[in-house]
Amino acid sequence: MSNETDKEIAGHDYDGIKEYDNPLPGWWLMTFYGTIIFAFIYVIHYESGSGNTLKKDLEIAMAQIESVKTSTGPKVLDSEDVLLEKAKDPKLLVVGAENYQSKCASCHGAELQGMIGPNLTDDFWIHGKGNMTDIITTVRTGVPEKGMPPWEGILKNEEVLAVASFIHSKHGSKPANPKEPQGQKVE
Amino acid sequence: MKGAKVESPKNNQLVKVIYDDKIVKAFLLATLVFAGVAFLVGVLIALQLAYWPFNMNLEWFTYGRMRPLHTNAAIFAFGGNAIFAGIYYSTQRLCKTRMFNDTLSWLHFWGWQAIILSAAITLPLGYSQSKEYAELEWPIDIAIAVFWVIFGVNFFGTLYKRREKHIYVALWFYISTIITVAMLHIVNSIEYPVSFLKSYPVWAGVQDAMIQWWYGHNAVAFFLTTPFLGLMYYFIPKAVNRPVYSYRLSIVHFWALIFIYIWAGPHHLLYTALPDWAQTFGMVFSVMLWAPSWGGMINGLLTLRGVWHLLRTDPIVKFFVTAVTFYGMSTFEGPLLSIKSVSHLGHYTDWIIGHVHGGTLGWNGFMIFGMTYFLIPKLWRTQMYSKSLMTTHFWIGLAGIVLYYVSMTTAGITQGLMWRAMDGNGNLLYPDFVETVLKIVPLYWVRAFAGTLYMVGFFIMAYNVFKTIQLAPSDQTDSEVMVSATPKELHSEPETGHRRLEGLIPTFSVLAFLAVFVGSVLEIYPSLNLKQYIKDEVPVSPYTPLELAGRDIYIKEGCYTCHSQMIRQLADDVLRFGKASTISESMYDHPFQWGSKRTGPDLARVGKKYPNLWHYKHMIDPRSVTPKSIMPNYPWLADNAIDFVIIRKKVSVMSALGVPYDEKTIAQADVIAENEAKVIAKDLADQGITQQGLERKEIVALIAYMQALGQKEKKKGDDNGKTVAGSL
Repeated sequence: MSNETDKEIAGHDYDGIKEYDNPLPGWWLMTFYGTIIFAFIYVIHYESGSGNTLKKDLEIAMAQIESVKTSTGPKVLDSEDVLLEKAKDPKLLVVGAENYQSKCASCHGAELQGMIGPNLTDDFWIHGKGNMTDIITTVRTGVPEKGMPPWEGILKNEEVLAVASFIHSKHGSKPANPKEPQGQKVE
Repeated sequence: MKGAKVESPKNNQLVKVIYDDKIVKAFLLATLVFAGVAFLVGVLIALQLAYWPFNMNLEWFTYGRMRPLHTNAAIFAFGGNAIFAGIYYSTQRLCKTRMFNDTLSWLHFWGWQAIILSAAITLPLGYSQSKEYAELEWPIDIAIAVFWVIFGVNFFGTLYKRREKHIYVALWFYISTIITVAMLHIVNSIEYPVSFLKSYPVWAGVQDAMIQWWYGHNAVAFFLTTPFLGLMYYFIPKAVNRPVYSYRLSIVHFWALIFIYIWAGPHHLLYTALPDWAQTFGMVFSVMLWAPSWGGMINGLLTLRGVWHLLRTDPIVKFFVTAVTFYGMSTFEGPLLSIKSVSHLGHYTDWIIGHVHGGTLGWNGFMIFGMTYFLIPKLWRTQMYSKSLMTTHFWIGLAGIVLYYVSMTTAGITQGLMWRAMDGNGNLLYPDFVETVLKIVPLYWVRAFAGTLYMVGFFIMAYNVFKTIQLAPSDQTDSEVMVSATPKELHSEPETGHRRLEGLIPTFSVLAFLAVFVGSVLEIYPSLNLKQYIKDEVPVSPYTPLELAGRDIYIKEGCYTCHSQMIRQLADDVLRFGKASTISESMYDHPFQWGSKRTGPDLARVGKKYPNLWHYKHMIDPRSVTPKSIMPNYPWLADNAIDFVIIRKKVSVMSALGVPYDEKTIAQADVIAENEAKVIAKDLADQGITQQGLERKEIVALIAYMQALGQKEKKKGDDNGKTVAGSL
């Protein structure tokens, strides 16, 4: 790029601006050709059917996730008695309280008194009978038509157990301003 | 005046030309005024993202309405006026003639300022079409088209009466700008008015998305790139008094740039429901755009060979060189972001915001500042008041850009990685969207600070310019030059190839039009027949009248500025938000609401996910249900009344646009909507919301719309939609 190659083009003078007759820089031209060749290969690969469609790629990725899930997925629930025993673990209750406050309190209230969702401390239950197994099931699968989201996939198995234990531990805690009872009374 | 004096070449007579400097001064001062507005609003919305109480609970002041004001002010008021100033100055000198018609010049000036003023009023009031950088409503759209044509006539008239046989490369870029912007604006703005300030685009769903991003991407191309390249080709050689590096490169990169640019729009829609082929074309054309873009950078930078020392001493050269460098950086990053796998990471994040501001603050802003410092002393026949303030402006501005770019790129990549992060069991590591937002809030503060720096730099310039003009000689006259009365090379030898074309304006213009028209037709035409992409076995119901009214509130509040409605065909999107969005789901969406940024979560499938009461509380105070949310409060939604009467008009316009409403729904749309509203209001009342007359408030319509999102594909045996609406 020495100035010796610069040659002004005769007759090119626009308001005093002149132009050199320099060639296209070689590296620039190669870059341009390179991208054009890439474009052709890419289009042919994907439009001829040899490359996967986006839909196909998504199916493969989802199948892979499913396979991981089924191999490490939730184990069969322990019996109610075992669950009740586990629910007494104070460390678990701390984890449960944290998760409850960040995920559940916005609808069920900070004191579990009920707000958008039902009161979780009284004797009335809409889904199940308020035992550990039922609470875990509801937390996991949710009740989408009523606005309770499924938490499986968001909360880990341990966390679901922790939240359920926390809720179970608060039964009968009689918070202030409770929501009116909903569902069936469970003795 | 052309041909007024017929002389033989040997006896060439000189004529006096008085250039119109007043119009250039007017556009330049307007540039500075609106730069201030654009930057102030920019800093404001940056602060609103960092700290939500800056939304002030004010209807017309919230982010969703301020963000379009910022983009429109920055692009069309600041950028637009600067382009016009530069074009009016350079075109007269490159053609050795005064502008074609002074009346047209001033009509253009005042018309454009009136458009800006109407935008500044209507956008905060919520009159918006929600199509990015094309939000303005139909009467303003018509005004834009009219005044753009006036500008075009004035420009081409000037070319017609030029006293220079050939047109210089700067003018090539102006020609392609004027032609292409007209085409983009008109096609993207074809809309059906509902009332004086409300309309629906004729395009729907994927069609609207395709056309909007064909427009949106090429607004960047033909409003923020080609005119600025034209300015670069004029002002850099003038400022450094050196010849342009390569004429041949000018030719090749000009035609390659305009031909390829027009195809690149779909890179804004990678992994969406847009058909694969269009995405593939959008991506490869973006990659091919790299070299043509760099052609402009090379020609700009290499023009400085031999005078690089000016970079140390001349603040104007500092601005120009930095601008061209940022142009090179952005046009490398653009193709990079268009590669599908990179888009997976960067799309919907602040990386894109960083990318855009590298271009706008660096390339456009610094070109404009350099041009302003070049023009002010020339136009006012004086020296700049302070050279050291110019240098100070440069360094503060540069610090602002770098900080802005680094903070937003970091924020974007961080959030993009968090969105896709998974544990070994196929679960998302950060399933709570708000968690990924809170992570980057500190960077929002950095960005607000960076924007403030850039703005402070500008105010230093404004002061410098003010003092310069104040101290300028009082007897201001327009520039006069003596030029040859006849085009210099009129009688030279016959020419061939491109050189010949440079003397044939109509042919040149037609070819420039064809260059952008071919790609446009090939890409857009297939989407005009939407039906071919839609599977009939999954029919979709149109929105009920109340849902439609709620949708217009969603649009009015600018919800699309933070929420997408497009779950991409990507595993992490599907895990987080549900089944990937389909083409048919948005087939009745006039306009589409796919969005381009996720400051909040995607809403394509939010319908029926939460109870009505959740939405009510969330709108009034988002933090009551999502602690630490950064969304503004929308308390006025519970006060503002729904206009039920106009719903009938809205439904009938939708019907005219091809949305299948039956006659009963059209005729009784308002009654149907009122009944729908009562159902939701009663549900809220049952849950303890005691407000009287809730069934007539906007919030109820918005809830109806939210609950409809992702719920419109009819399941087997379910005859939702028409009949549900009709049976109420």
